[in-house]
Amino acid sequence: MQSGRRHRRRRKGALSFDNLVRILFLGLFLVFLLAPLYWTVVTSIKPVDDFMNIPPVWFPDHPTLVHYVAAMFTYRGLVGLINSAIVSTAATALSVVLGTMMGYSFARFNTGGQHLSFWVLSQRFMPPVAVVLPVFLLYRNYGLNDTRIGLILIYTVMTLPLSAWMMFAYFRQMPAELEEAALVDGYGRWGALWRVALPLALPGIIAAAVFAFIFCWSEFFFALVLTSRKAFTLPTIFRGFLGFQSSSYGEASALAIVSLVPSMILGMLVQRHLVRGLTLGAVRG
Amino acid sequence: MASVDLINGVVPPRRKASPLSVWTDRHIDWLLVAPAVILILALTIYPLAYSVWVAFVNFDFQIPGHAFVGLQNFEYVVEDPIARRSLMTTAVLSVSSVALEFLLGLGLALAMTKLFRGRGVIMLILIIPLFVSPVVVGQIWSLILQKAYGPFDYLISLLFGPTQISWVTGSPWKYFALITADVWQWTPFMFVILLAGLTSVSPELYEAAELDGVSRWQIFWNITLPQIAPMILIAVAFRLLDAVKLFDIIFIMTGGGPGTSTYTASFYLYQTGFQNFHLGQATAGSWLFLILSAALIMFLVRRLLRPEPV
Repeated sequence: MQSGRRHRRRRKGALSFDNLVRILFLGLFLVFLLAPLYWTVVTSIKPVDDFMNIPPVWFPDHPTLVHYVAAMFTYRGLVGLINSAIVSTAATALSVVLGTMMGYSFARFNTGGQHLSFWVLSQRFMPPVAVVLPVFLLYRNYGLNDTRIGLILIYTVMTLPLSAWMMFAYFRQMPAELEEAALVDGYGRWGALWRVALPLALPGIIAAAVFAFIFCWSEFFFALVLTSRKAFTLPTIFRGFLGFQSSSYGEASALAIVSLVPSMILGMLVQRHLVRGLTLGAVRG
Repeated sequence: MASVDLINGVVPPRRKASPLSVWTDRHIDWLLVAPAVILILALTIYPLAYSVWVAFVNFDFQIPGHAFVGLQNFEYVVEDPIARRSLMTTAVLSVSSVALEFLLGLGLALAMTKLFRGRGVIMLILIIPLFVSPVVVGQIWSLILQKAYGPFDYLISLLFGPTQISWVTGSPWKYFALITADVWQWTPFMFVILLAGLTSVSPELYEAAELDGVSRWQIFWNITLPQIAPMILIAVAFRLLDAVKLFDIIFIMTGGGPGTSTYTASFYLYQTGFQNFHLGQATAGSWLFLILSAALIMFLVRRLLRPEPV
């Protein structure tokens, strides 16, 4: 990658000082990054008696899973988990299908010109608070409040800029010759898209899907406003811990772990596409 | 451009084509875009249009009827000292978080450009926070900063003796707490994009500078920074546009408190609309906020984003 930099000739002393600073900085940042995660894991398996210990218990003598059980059942984490999984999966599927179609159209036919594509992109930056009130009122009229369908629809719209632009960038860097060959072979344009372009774009589609899924999985604001007792998702359960007592530290930590593990694993799988995913394809990683 | 052939050169399929398939084939470009556009129109543009009406009437769950009140809702928000303060808080918090994230992210990116053993693993660790729900981040930091029994308070008391400081409610510590949580989550974002920028700088540039005996500081200042400037702009723009929407960690860590002291713009509008049920005023405020952010979006997005920058 940047092998050229390794060939640079430097004085020995400067080199080791450099490395020292580098290692120190990286080390400190890794501690800053990992310590909170470690603490959360440890808190989630601590017996209640350990919570109010000074000095804090860095590792419990008798780890327990009671908090996970309580989080899943007493705090209805299981329902939230199921809702989150259903809503995120459905919204991701919808968003990726619609986004891929749109991205393909932008890339191959320049549909709507720059205006349309930028209009779609600007949706990504719109503050959710600006639409949530009218959406709430709209949903009230159609009985969509506190339903999974309502949440799926809004999440689809919210992730559309992401999936459309990621696929836009993906199709642009894919040569069009193969699709043209398919046209010559007598396929229609839909055939060229379905049989040729889509299979080739599969890696890009999977990456877009993972990023859309992580967005839906993590989303809090819309879920907070648009759901209550039935369709609530995993993140909304955390509002129950606001100003919480020490007795629920364990449940809060357990829920945090349950929420972050799936999206963390998914994210690491698409690490290669990370830069494109974070910038909606604006930067090629 | 090669795709021109795709647009014009419609080759009839071998089978006898039905009129319908000819029509769908000819209009494939708009047919592909239509479902997504319709959905966006239905769920963001239509509600926004509807909310124009809401902003000009008395829309309050506690008061029946929707009397036209003109600009009263807007006046209420503009004159509300809490609204002004929350806008200030939003600006201060987002600018300082993004600035810190940029500096730390740049430092990390510089430290990670070199290939070394264990780099892959460190890379995987560094990107973890990007996949954690902001609410969970807020929850985790609440646990860390918990008064009396949290690990942070304990470490501080070891270093400086016992303190009376409450890290999540005391001033100015609550702001530091919020910024820390944001920095924890989003420094990796800056890092990843800036690293992509750094690794794409051509090594020849550095070699030429080395031959000329240019000092390393000058290399950084005159070669590295200008080369990654577009990436810096994109990274900062993306972060800033997201940072002004700050809501989740406020909700979880401080609940806007104590009092209204950590209200951000989003949090203020949420409180006004969904806790105090002044929907007209909240909608008017949302419009003002939307216009402010739209100005920022137009400026940053139109200027900086291309599908593939040079």
